Amino acid sequence: MKKLLTGAFLAALATSAQAEDVTLQLKWVTQAQFAGYYVAQAKGFYEEEGLNVTILPGGPDIAPTQVIAGGGADVVVDWMPSALAAREKGLPLVNIAQPFASSGMMLTCLAETGIKEPKDFADKTLGVWFFGNEYPFLSWMSQLGLATDGSPGGVTVLKQGFNVDPLLQKQAACISTMTYNEYWQVIDAGIKPEELVTFKYQDMGVATLEDGLYVLEDKLADPAFEEKMVKFVRASMKGWKYAEANPDEAAMIVLENDQTGAQTEQHQKRMMGEVAKLTAGSNGALDVAAAEKTVATLLAGGSDPVITAAPTGAWTSAITDKALAN
Amino acid sequence: MSRVLPVLTVLAGIVVVWYLGAVWLNSTWVYDQAERAGTTVTLAEVIPQTMAQERPLLPPPHQVAAELWKGVAGQAVTSKRSLVYHGFVTFKGTMMGFALGIVLGVALAMSIVRFRVMDMSVMPWAIISQTIPIVALAPMILVVANQVGVQDRDVPKAIIAAYLSFFPVLVSMVKGLRSPDQMQLDLLRTYGANEVQTFVKLRLPASMPYFFASLKVAIAASLIGTIVGELPTGAIEGLGARMLIGSQFGEPLIMWAALFAAAILAGMLILAVGAVERFARARMGVPA
Amino acid sequence: MSWIAGTVVIWLAAWALNVRVAATGWARTGAGRLFVPLLFGATILVVWEGLVRGLGVAPVILPAPSAIAAKVATSLPVLWVDFAQTFLKGALPGFVIGCGAAVLTAIAIDRSPFLQRGLLPVGNFVAALPIVGLAPILVMWFGFDWQSKAAVVVVMVFFPVLVNMVAGLQASERMQRDLMATWGASYWQALVKLRLPAAMPFLFNGLKIASTLALIGAIVAEFFGSPVYGMGFRISTEVGRLGLDMVWAEIAVAALAGSAFYGLIALIERWVTFWHPSQRH
Repeated sequence: MKKLLTGAFLAALATSAQAEDVTLQLKWVTQAQFAGYYVAQAKGFYEEEGLNVTILPGGPDIAPTQVIAGGGADVVVDWMPSALAAREKGLPLVNIAQPFASSGMMLTCLAETGIKEPKDFADKTLGVWFFGNEYPFLSWMSQLGLATDGSPGGVTVLKQGFNVDPLLQKQAACISTMTYNEYWQVIDAGIKPEELVTFKYQDMGVATLEDGLYVLEDKLADPAFEEKMVKFVRASMKGWKYAEANPDEAAMIVLENDQTGAQTEQHQKRMMGEVAKLTAGSNGALDVAAAEKTVATLLAGGSDPVITAAPTGAWTSAITDKALAN
Repeated sequence: MSRVLPVLTVLAGIVVVWYLGAVWLNSTWVYDQAERAGTTVTLAEVIPQTMAQERPLLPPPHQVAAELWKGVAGQAVTSKRSLVYHGFVTFKGTMMGFALGIVLGVALAMSIVRFRVMDMSVMPWAIISQTIPIVALAPMILVVANQVGVQDRDVPKAIIAAYLSFFPVLVSMVKGLRSPDQMQLDLLRTYGANEVQTFVKLRLPASMPYFFASLKVAIAASLIGTIVGELPTGAIEGLGARMLIGSQFGEPLIMWAALFAAAILAGMLILAVGAVERFARARMGVPA
Repeated sequence: MSWIAGTVVIWLAAWALNVRVAATGWARTGAGRLFVPLLFGATILVVWEGLVRGLGVAPVILPAPSAIAAKVATSLPVLWVDFAQTFLKGALPGFVIGCGAAVLTAIAIDRSPFLQRGLLPVGNFVAALPIVGLAPILVMWFGFDWQSKAAVVVVMVFFPVLVNMVAGLQASERMQRDLMATWGASYWQALVKLRLPAAMPFLFNGLKIASTLALIGAIVAEFFGSPVYGMGFRISTEVGRLGLDMVWAEIAVAALAGSAFYGLIALIERWVTFWHPSQRH
């Protein structure tokens, strides 16, 4: 109620200050994966740019692409494969910035299953996330020549839930993990790193671009919206760089924003440390070569490709060029 | 005493089975760990280790109780780590959905009893509506709510809760409003009562026992709807959100504590509805 | 604009027709009973179609019924595989095991008033709990495939059926039981010939509740891990891919399957409890 009143009060004052509203939809629940945005908000970087940013956490049933299509957000955090898939479905998403330079996705296997290299996946059960995150995996398997329909000689794919139980319960030989999250849950559960074999998508040459910022193309044509996004990206990147430099403080800010109160300091601090490795080396500008690599990986996606043709206009440097100019 | 003792016996039986299950399920992990370390363990060593794991497959009752106590009494009720706080968030959603469900159920029942065409066309679809898996609709409700400009995520939650809770109210109210028999209706006609008077003086009072009986079912359905709404759609706060986060971060204790908090909430809601029902029955002079 | 205007006109016309039909004697025949709700359903679809087209709603938010129907027509094999996994392997065995276990438990505790007095309040309480929250835990225990889905369904349907069955076994009147006793009927004879038939209306009440719970339970459980087919899997995956037409196709299948299941139980009920006042028309 108090927040609401202050909000109303501020809105009344806005005639002079003109704070612009921006709504950001995250891809998943509040965690250090999105630290840059929470830091930018807590440290007042958005405010300095004259922005009033609302950050909406995601969840297992929330597709950021659908939220932005429904007008529930101005800008969303999403992975490039699912954004490109949405673009082919007729939702013109454009990447305006790419704070994550490299991919954090891995396949983590129990050493006791005898898996040493990717060709050993044959006839094993692999856990994969779906909801738009399955595309890199499917193209990788198709490049390895492994069928994913359960036929002999191929792999059996399981849709894994939101945790690492399938590996701990030995229901799957390998599961999908992120360097900054699930991998550590396996370690926390008492399995030693030497008992695990890990394949990073980045090392396997099948990495796709993860957390990027996407907006709708037609809105971008409006100079006022473009200006707003320039400010937003500039402040967000400032947030990210601050988070990289002060990981512990950033983790505490994230924890502060977790409304479920179920997250722990230990998890978030570690996650922040790992996320910083992925954002390092990105100033926010999209590396076009990496984006083209993503497209190439997806187009190699076998019988049921995510996208059927290379997209045009799926990314723009217009925002980052201006945001990074000064 | 004769009512409490059997319940206590059954509960004690459940706790015993639970402990046995905990030993059985959690021991796999202990054996696996021993195997990885290259040692063997005896059963006597295994049992204590199954009682205090950080990520048990089935946490024993005392671990859940401790976590529950920590969440309820160990925090200020305003803290977001408090189960009381999250229980209240879920309670709010439940009540909003419950109120919405009652209004919808009663309104539909009234028009169904009044208009034959409503009865024939709407009633079958009301039944079909309950066979649609509401979880599948949850993301759509969220997006459509966004589309019409509702940013507050309590609203989609309440809609899901109302969707589940209107049905028992509707069914009971239709039965209740139709419960006066022909003789009573004829009597009112001889008094020269018009339709509105018949409704207010006969049909509505006659339907009250049915109405209150349906409330218990409706409140439970509403709670389920709220938790389902909190689980997948932008887990922000509430018991459902804590279940999700507990599952995602491999913290079964958080999940179990949230589950039991939900059970306690359900118990309190049903008791409260029962009390309202008894009060209303007493006021109306219906023998309990 | 013309779409919306047309939609409103069709809505009013269909409603007027339904009002007319409902007032005739034909509406009391079997065909009439079917016609009125079907016309109502068809009207909803037409209004939906008209609004989606008239307001230009993006297909990634709400697809038109025609688009959904087209999707159903082209993806029948996929829908069948999903249906078999979720309904035939998950919901149905879970329903049979859960309801069977509940009925057997009710009979088993029938001779012990002590256990009944203990189990009934506990069962009533558990029946009101959000069992859905157990889904992630049961998936963890029973693995990914249909077994965990069936397990969720078993837990969800067990208590409502148990509570109804216990109440049903007590439903026969004192006088009727005394009559059985005077005829020298044994406990089992009295059970089979009097008390089980008398319990049937209660049992079917529980079974009807359980039938809608079963499908919901199986679908929710698939959220927490599943093979790469199944209705819950398809719904959550296609929402992520913005394949909303496929999501609605699955919803349509679920509604159809759920209604058919409910209808089947209602039919059996009518056949088994023909003697009960609620079945006399």
